[in-house]
Amino acid sequence: MDHTPLSESWIKRINVLQLVLAGILIMSPTAWMVLSSFKPSFEVTAYPPTLIFSPTVENYSQLMETTPFFSYAINSMIVTLGSAGLGLLFGIPAAFAVSWTRISWPAVLTLAARMAPGTLFLLPWYMMFREVGMIGSYAALILSHAVITLPIVIWVLLPSFDNIPRSIFEAAQVDGCSVTRILWKIAMPLVGSGIAVAAILSFVFSWNYFLFALVLSNGDSKTLIAAAFNFVGEGSTQWGALMAAATLIALPPLVLAAIVQRWLVSGLTLGAVKG
Amino acid sequence: MSGNAFATRVAITAVALGAVTTAAGAADFDWKKFQGKTVTFLANNNPVSQALLTYKGDFEKLTGMTLKVDGYQEQQMRQRLVTVMNARSDEVDVFMTLPSREGEQFAAAGWYGDLSAMSKSHAAKDYDFAGLSQALLKAGTFGGKLTSMPMNIEGPILYYRTDIFKKCGVEKPATIGDVEAAAQKIKACDPAITPFVSRGLKPAVAYTFSNMLHNIGGSYMANGKSNLCSPKGKEALDIYSRLLRDYGPPGVVNYSFQQISALYRSGRAAMSFESSNELRTVMEGGERLKDTGLAPFPAGEAGLVPTAIGWGMAVSAFSKQQEPAWYFVQWATSPEVQKKMAVQGIAPPRPAVANDPEYRKWIDEQPVRKQWQAALDVLATKGSSEVGYPIVANPQSREFIGQAVQDLILKQKTLDQACADADKGLNELIAQK
Amino acid sequence: MVDVANTVTPDRQRAELAALSAPAVLFTLAMIAFPVIYTVWLGFHSFSSTGQQSFSGLANYSKLIADNEFWHGLWVTLALYLLSLALQLVLGIWLAMLLFNAKRLPGIVRSLFISPFMMPPVVAGLMWLVILDPSLGAANYILQAVGLPPSDWLASPIWVIPTIALIDTWQWAPYVALIVLGGLQSLPPSVYEAAQIDGASAFTTFRRITLPLLLPTIVTAVILRSVDLLRFFDIIYITTQGGPGNASNTLNIYGFRVGFEFFNIGYASALMLTLTVIVFGVVLAFNRLRGAVAW
Repeated sequence: MDHTPLSESWIKRINVLQLVLAGILIMSPTAWMVLSSFKPSFEVTAYPPTLIFSPTVENYSQLMETTPFFSYAINSMIVTLGSAGLGLLFGIPAAFAVSWTRISWPAVLTLAARMAPGTLFLLPWYMMFREVGMIGSYAALILSHAVITLPIVIWVLLPSFDNIPRSIFEAAQVDGCSVTRILWKIAMPLVGSGIAVAAILSFVFSWNYFLFALVLSNGDSKTLIAAAFNFVGEGSTQWGALMAAATLIALPPLVLAAIVQRWLVSGLTLGAVKG
Repeated sequence: MSGNAFATRVAITAVALGAVTTAAGAADFDWKKFQGKTVTFLANNNPVSQALLTYKGDFEKLTGMTLKVDGYQEQQMRQRLVTVMNARSDEVDVFMTLPSREGEQFAAAGWYGDLSAMSKSHAAKDYDFAGLSQALLKAGTFGGKLTSMPMNIEGPILYYRTDIFKKCGVEKPATIGDVEAAAQKIKACDPAITPFVSRGLKPAVAYTFSNMLHNIGGSYMANGKSNLCSPKGKEALDIYSRLLRDYGPPGVVNYSFQQISALYRSGRAAMSFESSNELRTVMEGGERLKDTGLAPFPAGEAGLVPTAIGWGMAVSAFSKQQEPAWYFVQWATSPEVQKKMAVQGIAPPRPAVANDPEYRKWIDEQPVRKQWQAALDVLATKGSSEVGYPIVANPQSREFIGQAVQDLILKQKTLDQACADADKGLNELIAQK
Repeated sequence: MVDVANTVTPDRQRAELAALSAPAVLFTLAMIAFPVIYTVWLGFHSFSSTGQQSFSGLANYSKLIADNEFWHGLWVTLALYLLSLALQLVLGIWLAMLLFNAKRLPGIVRSLFISPFMMPPVVAGLMWLVILDPSLGAANYILQAVGLPPSDWLASPIWVIPTIALIDTWQWAPYVALIVLGGLQSLPPSVYEAAQIDGASAFTTFRRITLPLLLPTIVTAVILRSVDLLRFFDIIYITTQGGPGNASNTLNIYGFRVGFEFFNIGYASALMLTLTVIVFGVVLAFNRLRGAVAW
C-alpha cells in the first residue's frame, strides 16, 4: 500500500468524522439531561420537545431546599471513597498474585458476589449487620460496596499485569527482590493506566449503586442516589428536579475521570521497558 | 422559653377541646407521656407524607418525642419494609401502607400491630375516631383487627378537556358508552389529540380497570372462583382495552401515572382517567387550570362504584414501643392535622373536614378544586376499595388482570382466550394457601 | 542457577503470593458466605400465607421447572444478553480505537465520550423513557421530522428487547471502551512501529496485531459485562417492568417481583440462586478462555 500524504490526510478526516458522529450519539442524551435540568419542571415532557426556553435554576434551588443535598453528597463521598479505596487496597495485590500464579479461583471468587442478583443480599446482609449493630453506619455501606469494587479492580488489572513480561520480574528476583517489593516498586508503576481505569470504574459503580443503601442506611447514612429517587412517584413526579439531581450526581465521576485521564493518556511507560 | 410557648399552645388546644368534649376527659390524656422517646417512621415519599411532614416540628413540640423519618419512593419503601419485617426487626415503628394492596398479606404475615384497642382507649378526646371514613377503616381491618389508620382518600377520576369537548360538540359523558362515543367524535374532529388515556402498564392496570368493572356490575370473584370470563367481566375487559387500543396513545401498554399526566398536562389528550393525587402534577404550569373538568368515571349498568382507596398508617408488630408509635399515628390522623393537610391538596379521609371553612376557602380558589372535591365526595360515599382480587396474593392477581388487558390492546389474544388464561392463573392463586 | 535467591524462593514466594490474595479472598468469603447459605436455606422452604415457614425440600425447584414464566425469563435474559454484548463489544472497541488515535483530545472531552456509564442507570432509564415515548418523546419527533415512520419502541412486544439493548449499549459501550483503552495504553508501541515499517494498512494492523494483543483485555470486558447483563435489571425496572406482557421479563426482574412485590421469599430465593448458577457458569467458561488467550 502506498502512503501518499493525501491519503493520510483523508484518513485523518475520516477519523475526525467518526469522532464527531460518536460524540453526537453519545453526548446528545446527556446534553438533553443537562438542558432539561434548566427547564421549568413541566416543560421536560413537553411536546414537541423545546430547545429554546428561558433557562431557570429553580430546579436546583428546589433540590437544595427540599433535600439535605449536601449531607447526602457527603455520605455518598465517604462511602464511595471508602469502598473504592478498600477495593484497590485488596484488589491490586490479589490481581498481581493471580496474574503471577495463573491460579484464577480467587479472582472468580471475588466476582461471585457480582454474579448473584443484588436483591439476594438485602435480607441476609440486613440481618448480619443488624446483629453487630452496624445498620446506619458508614462502615456497613463501605463493606457492602467494596463487594462491588473489589472484583472490578481485580479483573481490570489482570490483563495489565499479564502484559508485563516475566523477564522483568525474573531479573528483579535474581537481584533478591521479594514478590511484594516487585509489586510495589516495579509492577504497579507499569500498570498506571490500568489502575486509573480501575479507580474510575470503582468510583462510578459505588457512587451509583443504591440497592444496598436502601436497607443498610437507616436514613442516617443515606446516599445521594437513594435520595434522587424521591422525585419520581405518583403525585410527586418532578422531572426538572430529577434532571437537576442527576446532573449533579453525574458531576463527581466526570470530574474524577477528567483528572485521571492524564494517567490514561500517559500510561506508556511500559513500552520503554519492553523495548 | 419554648416551654412557655408550649404551655400556651396546650392551653389553646385544651380550650378548643373543651368546646366539643368534656374537659374532664381531656385531662386524662397526656401528649407528653413519652417525652424523650424516638419514633421511626418509614414513609412513602408521596404528596400525603410530604404534606404531613411539613408539620413534623409541631408533633415534636407537642409530645417532646423525636420523629425520625425515613422516606423512599413507593417501590423502594416496600422493598425496605419487606426486608425489615422479614428480619423481624424493631427498627421501624410506624410505616405507611396500602391496605387495598398488601393489607391481606401483611396482616396474614403478622406485620401489623393491632390498633383496635389503642385507638379507643389511648386516644385524645378530640381524636374523633367516629369521624374517620368508615369505609376506609373497614378496608384496614383484617380478621377483626384494625391495622392502620386512614391518612387520605384517593382514587382514579376522569380529567377531561372542556374546550375540546365544546369544539367537537361532545357533552360531558354520563355513561361508559358516552365515553367511547365522545372518544370517537374527538378522534374524527381533531386527529392530533389523543381522545382517551389511562393505565396500560401491566401492574398498574388494576387500579383503573377495577372502577370500570365495578361500574359495569362485574365482580372479580364468584363462588370462590375467578369471574373474569363472566359476561360482565368480559364486557369490562373488552371496553377498557378497546378504549386504550382505538383511542389511546401509541405505546399505552407502558403507561402509568407519569406518562398519562405528562400527556394530558401538555394538552395532547382529551380525557385522562388517572389518580386524584395527580391533580397537582396535571395543573403544574397552569395551562390546564381553565380548560379541565373533573368527574368520577361515568356510570355503567351498576351505576357509580368508583375505586376509593387511601394510604394508611400502621404500627409495626415488631416495634418495641407500640404506644409511642400510636401517639404519632393518632397525631398524624387527627382532625386538626388532616385539616391542615387538606389545604395542601390531600383529600381528607374525614367527611367533616370537607366542610371546614378554611378548606372550603381553599377549594373555592380554583374551579377545578371544586370539581375535584365533588368527585372525591362521590368516591367517599360510593367507593369500593377493591383493586384486584380480595385475596392474600392481591399484588400478584393484578398481574393477571394487566396481562389480559395488554393481550387485548396488543391483539395477541381473543377476548375469550385472554380472560380464560387469566382465570386459569387466578384460580391457581385463589387456591393457594 | 545456583543463585541464593533462587534456592529459597519457591516456598517463601508461594507464601508471599498467598498473603497478597488473602485479604481479597477472606473479605469476599466473609461477605457472601452467610447470604448464600441463607438463600439456599430459604430456597428449601415454603412460606404459607400466615408467614409460617416450613421445609419443603425441592418443591420450589420443581415449581421452577414447571413454570413457563421462568423458561420465558431465561430466554429473554439470554436474548438480551447476547444482543447487548455483541453491540457493546463492537462499538466499544471502535470507540476505544477512535479515542486512542485522537491523542490531542483534551481530557475533559475524552471523559465526556465515556460519560454515559457514569449516569445513574435509573436516571438513564427515566431519561430514555421520556425520549422514547411514542407520543411524547423526542425520538419519534426526530424520526418524523426526517420522514421516517414512528416506532412504538419500548411498547412493542417485538421491538422492546432491541430497544432495551440499544439503551444499554448507549450506556455501557463507553465502559467497554474505557477498559479497552486501558489495555491499549499498556501495549508496547514497538509493535506498531514494526507494523508501520512493514507498511501494513491501518485495518490490517488492527486485525493482525492490535486485536490479538488486546484479547485478554477484551475477555475482561466480556466477563465484567456478562455479570451485569445476565442480571439485567435497572433499565427494565424503570421503563417496562417486564412488559409489554412479559416480553422483557428477565429472570432478575421476575425474581425481584416474586420476592418483593408478591412476597414469596422462598420461590424468589430459588429463582435468584438459579440465576446465580447460570451467571457463574458463563463466567467460568470465559475464565477458561482468559487462560487460553493470556500471553
